[in-house]
Formats: sequence, structure tokens, C-alpha cells
Amino acid sequence: MATCDRRSFLQFCGALPFVGRGFGAWAPLADDRVLLVLELVGGNDGLNTVIPVDDARYAALRPQLQAVRKGAHRLADGTALHPALGRLRRRLEAGGVAVRHGVGYPGPDRSHFRSRDIWHTADPGLVRVGARTTGWLGRAADLVAARSAGLGAAAVGGLEVPLLLRGRSVTVPSLRRLEDCQWLAPTAAGPIGAEAAVRDLVDAGRGDGARTHAAAVARAAVRLADDLTAAMRRYRPAADYPGTALGRDLQLAARLVVAGFGTRLLHIGFAGFDTHARQLPTHAGLLAQLDAALDAFAQDLAAQGRAERVAVLVHSEFGRRAAENASQGTDHGAAAPVFVLGPVQGGVHGPVPDLQRLDDGDVAATMDFRSVYADGLSWLGLEPEAVLGAAFPGAGLLRPVR
Amino acid sequence: MSDPLAPYEPTPRDPFDLAKVGHLLRRAGFGASLRVRRELVRGGLEAALRHVQPPAAPLPDQALQAAAIAFGDLERVRAFRVWLCLQGVHPLRERASCFWHGHFATSNQKIGDPRAMALQLATFDRLGLGRFDDLLLAMCRDPALLRWLDNDTNTARRPNENFARELFELFTLGRGHYSEADVREAARAFTGWHVRDGAFQFVARLHDAGEKELFGERGAFDGAAIAAAVVRRPESARFLAGRWLQWLVHPEPDPADVEALAVVYERSGRDIGATLACVLRSRLFFSAAAWRSQIKSPAEFVLGTVRLLGATAAPTALAAAMAGLGEAWLEPPSVEGWHGGTAWLSPASWLLRSNFLADLLAGRSGRLRPAPGTWLRGLRSPRDRAKAAVLLLLDGVAGEDVQQGLEAVAHEHAADDDRCAAAVLHAVACTPDYQLG
Repeated sequence: MATCDRRSFLQFCGALPFVGRGFGAWAPLADDRVLLVLELVGGNDGLNTVIPVDDARYAALRPQLQAVRKGAHRLADGTALHPALGRLRRRLEAGGVAVRHGVGYPGPDRSHFRSRDIWHTADPGLVRVGARTTGWLGRAADLVAARSAGLGAAAVGGLEVPLLLRGRSVTVPSLRRLEDCQWLAPTAAGPIGAEAAVRDLVDAGRGDGARTHAAAVARAAVRLADDLTAAMRRYRPAADYPGTALGRDLQLAARLVVAGFGTRLLHIGFAGFDTHARQLPTHAGLLAQLDAALDAFAQDLAAQGRAERVAVLVHSEFGRRAAENASQGTDHGAAAPVFVLGPVQGGVHGPVPDLQRLDDGDVAATMDFRSVYADGLSWLGLEPEAVLGAAFPGAGLLRPVR
Repeated sequence: MSDPLAPYEPTPRDPFDLAKVGHLLRRAGFGASLRVRRELVRGGLEAALRHVQPPAAPLPDQALQAAAIAFGDLERVRAFRVWLCLQGVHPLRERASCFWHGHFATSNQKIGDPRAMALQLATFDRLGLGRFDDLLLAMCRDPALLRWLDNDTNTARRPNENFARELFELFTLGRGHYSEADVREAARAFTGWHVRDGAFQFVARLHDAGEKELFGERGAFDGAAIAAAVVRRPESARFLAGRWLQWLVHPEPDPADVEALAVVYERSGRDIGATLACVLRSRLFFSAAAWRSQIKSPAEFVLGTVRLLGATAAPTALAAAMAGLGEAWLEPPSVEGWHGGTAWLSPASWLLRSNFLADLLAGRSGRLRPAPGTWLRGLRSPRDRAKAAVLLLLDGVAGEDVQQGLEAVAHEHAADDDRCAAAVLHAVACTPDYQLG
């Protein structure tokens, strides 16, 4: 196996965007469009988020949970947004939000983990997640990294990098706070042994081991500490974010966008949607948090002049069963609405879920989730087929870029 | 092909040395001081295996456990678990309890009852190395787990499938080895398996006593019958064997090894401790493919560092550090537990690991005793100091570039013993090799 030149060596270890180029050396990026995927983890109850209020079958399926109809915000197509989504409704009326009913995939799986894996990989035929499995946003990050330097993608809020952001060649960082990005080294030397660790394994032809990963991460981490801290200090918030974890995560996302660090792809997970029991207060609380945090984020970006450059895709791994269960909750289901915020074709899209024609007790999908992904990728200026492996018709939720 | 689980036998070319002792202690415990590691090299393989799995080690101190439980707060229960692992009275049991906590991942965030969580962990201490049949039945009656998976609302009139589904998918069989009908039938069998006043209670009037069909057999099964049936499935043996090999050997175990271990497990009468012991003495366990093939979990990184140094530190501070690194005991991120593997280590978490150790070694947090200077005391030259640090933290195994880099760090700080020791140890802890378990 032998030799390889420095460039392919660095590309191999995933550190290319971080190596050999200081932040100051980057030209301003012509392309600053950002896609933020906000994932409602646990399976959001779509039917109680965008409610088919006029459908008598809805009330019959949900004798307890139909209580959310009171105070719900009516939309043009006869459905209504959950009462807790008042700010989102105002933004929808102003043309800043697109809702698409019934997004899912063929052969819905009711396991959280498999369904999340499917959404993350964009592969409904996924057999199992292995060391080389990549996520759709990670594959997009590979394309972004090939075109420009910078922190092309980041996971915000957690420590783990979700499967969705695993690329073939890029090591995507996860960030929680600005302070997390400083390295308290007692010595000026960088991490010792990282170069050789990668080199050894390249030479030995064992590219996917834990040691390679550790070495690539060590080098990416030190660059991250040096460059990001300086860039992110330039940001001044222009909205009052709620003091929730989601508010904090979205503010950090805004900070990354404004820092001009070349960030194009972001992911935030917002957990707690697995509402098997006593759902009404839990679900209302979660949606209220979502409503307040997204509103602050949109307001901040507008004030920073970025409203047209950032799209937010809100989805969940599945919706929930059409019928409520005996615990005043709902069990794992299938298709559900997705939301897109930003430069969208505002309004409600697609047919209202047909509760007369349920698929094994679930809302049937009327749009493949990969069409929504294709929309986002095209809008970013990336080739959807290169990421998704096949062509999917766009969902028409985002406005084409001039 | 030779049996992968055949016992490892030390030879002059493949001796039982410090690297092997370090490997055994990392996987079947949280490491040990250099003094203990050297004693175990001298004592040989059998003595080292008895060290990690001592035949007569008492269960964790019940009085202390009771005190942690009585206070009923999350911090204290966590600190108690950290303290247990730092003690290392029965290293394999302590690790096994961590493993089962990730396997039957229950979070206090939903149930809000640290007492119930502490009792669940005590059950792992008691049964985690016994027969899997007993452990599984205990989990099917565990108040924290039943509430976590909503089985306390599972009734004959309105079954809730959550517990039954995870029982098959995450605890025993894995996906693809049960049908949706099996889930529905098992959910019926667990109706009325509820929690009253913090204890398990079978509520007969809420139980569906009718006939069920599971895995092609019919009968008026209850939860215990389901648990007894599922442990006998061959898929369950393979599923568990795979999980154990991921923990002890390699993140992506060879299917043939999984198959071989499943047989060992079945033949042992589904005895967890005996099965793990077979792995720990095998050639597979001490193979080159297994050595340093894992990314250390935050617990391994944080607790392991303190133990390798032969030091003590404040358990609450260590528990908080682990939580900050993504492993908050008693609060796994989901019912799937922690994902582990490369997911543990991102650029951001690498910085946090590094910064935690910088603070700990500089005395800024965690009350580390003794202070770092003592470890390199009496060693003057940068070369000796670098070598000593590599012995302490890497069992003496590091590349020439690492040795040279450490010498440079030692040279840079030669004027001050404490700062020099802190800087050199921190630099070792930032190497890629030190991230590996």
C-alpha cells in the first residue's frame, strides 16, 4: 500500500478543511445558504400538530386527545395548527413557513431506531448501520467540503454526532457552547502522536479503525478551538431567545451562521416526543418550546440579514397511530407533516391526511421524505442525486434561488 | 480453523505482559495503578483473571447504598456508583453493572425517582453476572423499567406495547427475530404487571389471562412465561453474545465468534459470569485485533485516568465530568442506551475530555490526590519523565513520535515538578492512543 501524497492523506483522515489554511486565509464564500435540520426525536404526533379539525373521524379516533381542537389555529385547507403554535401560525400567514402533510417512506417501520436510521441515511432499505454507513447530511457535507474550506457542517446541542451527519471523508464536530471550543493545553504543542497515528494506519491499509478516528478528531479539535472561538465572538444576538435547551441550541446555530465560517449544514435534535401516556400536557409543552425558539431564531436571522439564506427543515422519525391508546397517549405510527421555515413557498401543501384510508391504523404517506431532502439539497446548490443515490421529484417547498 | 475462544496461553513470543494486563483491566474494569498492574504481570494470567472476577468479593456496601438511596437525589446515587468503580472491589461486576445499565437503559428523566434507579442498579450488582433468566425476570418486575416503558398503564382492556416491543428489540432478540403479532401477544401477557408504592405488583383484575400465541406456541402466558420463552430462543443467545463481544473484544465482532460464544452461553446454562470469563481468558480477547480497538467511553476515560494514576478524586466532580462528556449515568439519552464507539469522540468532546483533565491535573477541579508531582518524583531527565508517563497511562506502549513529543513537553516545563508532571500526563492523555480502550 505504501505512499500517498499529503492531500489525499489529509482527505483520508477527514481533516482537510481544518488543515493548512488559517481562518483569515479564506475568501468570502459566494455561497452562504444554510440548511438546518431540526429533528423532533421520539416521533411527533403529526395529527395533533396539524389537526384535521373538520374530519369527524378524527374526533372518533381520539376521544381524549381531540381536546387540542379548542384554541387551535385554523389554516386555509381546513386543518389547524396546535394551540401552542401561535407564533408559527403568524409566520405561516406571512409566507415564512411551508407545511407538507403526509411525509414518510414506503414500508414504514415502527421502531424508533430503525426509522431514525432510515431518515438519517435516506435509505429505507437499510439493513444495518455499520462503521461505513453515512448519513444524508454527512454526504452533503462531503460535497460542501470538496468545494470550500471552513466548518461546512456541525451538530449542535449534543456531544454525539448523529448518524445523519456522518460523511465519507469529513469529520463533523458537535458543539454545545462557545466555551467548549477552547483548548486548555498546558503546552504550545498540538496533540502529540496524531500525525503518526494516521500515517501508520494509512500505510497499513486499515483506514476505519478507532485509532484513525481518534487521530482525525484530535487534529480537527485543535483547529476548531483556534479558529472558531475567534470567529464566533463577532456575533451579537438580535432576538430574545427562550432559556430552554432548544433556545440555546438555536442561538448557537445562529452564531455559527453569522460567524461566516462557511457553515452550510446544521442539525439539532429536540427530544421528548415519545408520548405514549398522558400526552396532552407533554406535547403542548414541547410544541410551545418549539414555537418560541423557532420564532426567536427567525427574528434573529432577519435582523442579521440572513432570513433568505437559512432554511429550517423540521421533521420527526415518524408520526403516531391515528387512534389514541388507553393511556391518553399515542403509539408509534408512520407518515406525518414536515415544516420548512425560511425562503419557502409559504402555506400548506399536499392533501389533508385521509383518515378513512388508514394504512394499518396509520396515516399513509403522500410524499416520500427524500423529495423533501431533494428540495433542500437543490436549494443549497448541491446535486440531490449525488447525495440520495437516485432522482426524486422536488417537494416544491423552497423558493428556487435566483 | 482453530477455536477463537480457545484459552490464551502465554509464550515467550507472546508473553503475559503489562500491555495485556492493561487491556484486561480496561475491558473488565476501569484500570488499576501501575503497582497493581506490575503485581499482576508477576502473578500471571490466572491471578489477573481472579483479580477482575474475585470469587468471594462481597456485594457493594449495603449501608452506603442505602444511605445514597435514602437521600433520594440523583447526584448522590451517581456519586455512589462512581465511588464503587473507583474502589474496584470486583472490577468485572462494576463494569457489568454499567453494561446492563446501558442495555436496559432506563432514564431518571422520565421516571423522576432516583431511589428506583438506585434499586435497579443494585439489581445489576446482584444478578448481572448470574443466570440471564434471573436477570431478565427481575427486569420484567423492575419498578423503574416498568414505569420507563409505560407498562404501569398496560391493561387487559387497553394494552400498551412499549415494554413488550423493547423487551424483544433491545433486551433479548434484536430486530427481525419477532413479529408484530409477537409484540401484541407479549403486551397482553404483561398487562397488570404494575408498580404500586415503589414496588412491583401484579394486578390480577387488569391482567389479560386469556390464551396467547407467541413464537408459534399457544397458552395462557403471563410475563414470566414470556421471559422464560424468550431466553430460550437461539436468537437471544446470539444477540447477547454479540453485545458482550462488542463490549469485551471489538466494536464489530466477527459473526463466527458470536456464534461460538452463543454456544458457550447456552452450554453454561445461560450463565453470564461464566460466559464472560470464557471470553476474558480466550486467545480472541488477547488478540491484536482486540487490543486498543475501542474508543473509551467517558466513564473509562475519566474513572480510568484516576485509577491508572492510583489516585482518588471527588466522585461528584467525576460524575459531573462524565455527564458533560455525554455519559450521564441514570440518564441515558434514550431507551437504546448510549451509542458508544466512535460516536463518543467528536472534535468538541475531545476538547472537553482534554480540558477536564487539564483542570483535574492542575488542581482546578476534582480534588485529585496525591498531586501529580508525586508520580514523576525522583525522575530528572525529560526522557525518564516521558517514559514514566507512558508507563503510567499507556502501559509503556507508545510510538517513538509520542516519546519524543513528550520529552519536548517535559523539557519545556523542567523548572517546576508539579507543572511538568501535569503537562506531560496531559499530553499523554491527548494522544490518539489514550482515547482507545
